[in-house]
Amino acid sequence: MAVARDAVERFGDRMAALALVRPKKPESLPVRITRNRIYILPTGFGLFLAAMLTTMLVGGLNYNNNPALLLVFLLAGVAHNSLVHAHLILSGISLKAVHADPVFAGQNLRLKLRFDAHGARERPGLQLLCGDARCNFDLHADDEVEAVLDLATHQRGWLEPGRLRLSTLRPLGLARSWSWLRPDTRLLIYPTLDANAPPLPEALGDGDSPRTRAHGEQPHHLREYRPGDMPRQIAWKASARADRLLVREYESAVARDITLDWQALGELGREEKIRRLARWVVEAERSGSRYALFLPGERIPAGRGAEHRHACLRALALLPNV
Amino acid sequence: MLVPGWLAAVLLATAALAFFSEKPWPASLRLLMTLMIGGLVLAAFEFRIGRDTSCAGLLGMLMLKPFETHGSRDARSLLGFSLFAPFAAFLQDQGPVTMALSLPAATLSLMAWAMLLQGPGAPWLPELRRALAALAMAVPVALAGFWLFPRLATPLWGLPENSVSRAGLGDRMTPNEWLDALVDDSPALRARFIGTTPPREQMYWRGPVLMNFDGEAWTRDVGASHAPAPMLRATAASIRYEVMLEATERQDLLVLDLPLGAPANARLNGELTAVSESPINNLIRYQAASAPSALFPEPLGNWQRRAALALPPNHDPRTIALARQWRQETPDPAQLTQRFMQWLRRDFKYTISAPPVGFNATDDFLFGTRLGFCQHFSSAYAVFMRAAGVPARVVTGYVGGHYNKLGEYWLLKNKDAHAWTEIWLDGRGWVRVDPTAAIAPENILDTLDDLQARQQAGLAGPADQVLGPMFDGTDFLRRQWNQLVLGFDAARQKSLLKPLGIDEADAWQLVTAFGIGSALALTLTLWFLLREHRDRSHPIIRAWRAFTRRLRRAGYAKELEEPPLAFAQRLAERLPASAAALLSVGRRYSDWRYAGQVLTDEEQEELVRSLRDFRLQRAAGDS
Repeated sequence: MAVARDAVERFGDRMAALALVRPKKPESLPVRITRNRIYILPTGFGLFLAAMLTTMLVGGLNYNNNPALLLVFLLAGVAHNSLVHAHLILSGISLKAVHADPVFAGQNLRLKLRFDAHGARERPGLQLLCGDARCNFDLHADDEVEAVLDLATHQRGWLEPGRLRLSTLRPLGLARSWSWLRPDTRLLIYPTLDANAPPLPEALGDGDSPRTRAHGEQPHHLREYRPGDMPRQIAWKASARADRLLVREYESAVARDITLDWQALGELGREEKIRRLARWVVEAERSGSRYALFLPGERIPAGRGAEHRHACLRALALLPNV
Repeated sequence: MLVPGWLAAVLLATAALAFFSEKPWPASLRLLMTLMIGGLVLAAFEFRIGRDTSCAGLLGMLMLKPFETHGSRDARSLLGFSLFAPFAAFLQDQGPVTMALSLPAATLSLMAWAMLLQGPGAPWLPELRRALAALAMAVPVALAGFWLFPRLATPLWGLPENSVSRAGLGDRMTPNEWLDALVDDSPALRARFIGTTPPREQMYWRGPVLMNFDGEAWTRDVGASHAPAPMLRATAASIRYEVMLEATERQDLLVLDLPLGAPANARLNGELTAVSESPINNLIRYQAASAPSALFPEPLGNWQRRAALALPPNHDPRTIALARQWRQETPDPAQLTQRFMQWLRRDFKYTISAPPVGFNATDDFLFGTRLGFCQHFSSAYAVFMRAAGVPARVVTGYVGGHYNKLGEYWLLKNKDAHAWTEIWLDGRGWVRVDPTAAIAPENILDTLDDLQARQQAGLAGPADQVLGPMFDGTDFLRRQWNQLVLGFDAARQKSLLKPLGIDEADAWQLVTAFGIGSALALTLTLWFLLREHRDRSHPIIRAWRAFTRRLRRAGYAKELEEPPLAFAQRLAERLPASAAALLSVGRRYSDWRYAGQVLTDEEQEELVRSLRDFRLQRAAGDS
């Protein structure tokens, strides 16, 4: 996937470390790309053409060959205007939002960036680069576009995307203009799941406690639809009769809560414990049981549902490293 | 010609082969192709190395390059090097047609650059439009650079010579040889007279003088070419003129007979030929003055007299005998000339297809064939006069020409090349005698025009009346091109600032002018580029934006996510004096923009006007 970068591009990357290069620190969204943060350097092809044109210029001057000089100045003018054009392609683009659904460390994070642009200008051939991940897109006049970057993740915790490069080679490929984006957004990465974790601890408890499945067979009663309810919970016939959306609420007998306790894991290593607990959180949520998570310094009471799962995984992800 | 037709066809076929072959060729086959093309290029130029050979070689390499072009990197280097193709063409020809042909080449280059970025399947039509727009937008910068970029007054290195030289005046005249120049229809020079125009029969444009004769060919005298010019006393009013000379790649300039001074950057040599400091590789312009007749006050030097009387030994015995006999009968050189001319008029005929002559070329011509053209007549007359003891030499140049009414200038083509003779008369100096002019009109058998008329049968007569003015028109355009584009050089650049009161611009003045000029051109270009950036939203939205901008400057900024109506209400509370107006425009704008209210044209204008004319009413107590 990684495309070799030419010397000029590497020079641009190295320059980014300089204190002068904008933006100097992470900035909050929306970020608008203005002229004072657009950089432009010729590509290898641009340098090659510049050498060609210089040779032709010297030759034309030496022989006072006026048509050749006219052609050289015409092409030089085109090249110069292409630099201005490249600048204008970037200028006025805004990064409005950065968003990604949390993933488990080791999976690819789909980082979604929403750009929009003001004015009647077409902005083709944009490339977004973050590390080795890149994505190409066009931004049409007065339009919005969502660019998606697949970022590799290695560590649980907060991922800071760092310096993103929005660049273009258009219109002629003679120069690359780019702008650095440093959104202050942090993205949560859950811990890696333990691949060979033992079964959930609840299986070890006494087996005669009454448990019914969360979405049991027996409808308990109907209630008003609330955003977030699953479509298959909707009682369509009843809704049609009542002329409003009704949702079946199933009887879900209180199962014995599963307690996922850090202390109970004994002498496992710290990261192994985190991985195993993460695995159990996912499995407990899948089984429909209520589960509580006891961590050093934090106790999450028993609960169930996407929010609870997120809270548990987040707590695990953000456990300090030491 | 840049490349012979057959070679061009072979090169095009090679490029097509490379373009359509799907698989890459093996290296050995590519090497064989390269060697073959190289050999063909060399063969086409008779294995001589020159500018034209190099240009054709470059073209060959460009055509071979697609064989090893696979990635976009190869394609880019091919595109870059192909820019040399129009440059090479300009080294050979700088005419408007070549220039016009280079513009599509530039457009295609730009399209290719842009399309390489987009990968396969990119639509070409929008790219064509963009390339043309980009070229049009580059015109101001290009013109600023062309007029104002500091030029070199003297070249750093010379132009490599062509291996195959053009027909034209040379250092050598061989009467027995066919001259390519006689059928060369291309222009040699254009001349415009400043003030009086001499009669056409006096328009002898003087070129190289040929002094040495070896029985077969006339050649230049190296010594006299470096001698200083002899003194001249004009006996007629001088004539001023301006010449625009096409590139000859030689140093000789053409001046009207007899030159009173050398043009700029040139000198007159001992034979009154104007010699430029460097070879004429580009079209040049110069002014000079001449007198139709002049006296040479100084006597002919011994050394020069001997050169002008020298004859090859053991050649042309009959001519020498006749000349000596006639000289005894008519001692006066002028009368001798008259007698010779009468003989020519009586017994000789003009034809450009002269029969070949043998070892005693002059004897064979004077007593045998008696058919020939200017070379034969001038050579025979010069030999005859030398044999009679009168110093004589051959002068080459151009005669006559075609008057272009449109541009009021005289056009001389290469086929107007001519050779005449000068004899030395004591007390007068060198006197021009043109023996070819002595031929009786009825004895002119076969001229160049006849030959051309035969070649283009059916175009003569009435067609000439149609084509004549057309030709005048195209040549006039060509002359304007020469004057405006090709003739522009360091000297004319210096005088460019004359309207500003600077007669001879210094280097720094030119650099300043270049800076200002290109800055102006860039501003123009930027304006063109930025025009696209203008706000093209609905007038009401534009007016609303201006309205909020004004309020922000007054210290009442609209929050980024604040709806217009809420903004107006918030301001109305703080500014009771303007509350009614604020609420009115806020509600109307909000209704139109978000509630889908349809407004008639008048209502739209009314809303725009009230947004525009809104002024804050400040009253006491406003916060």
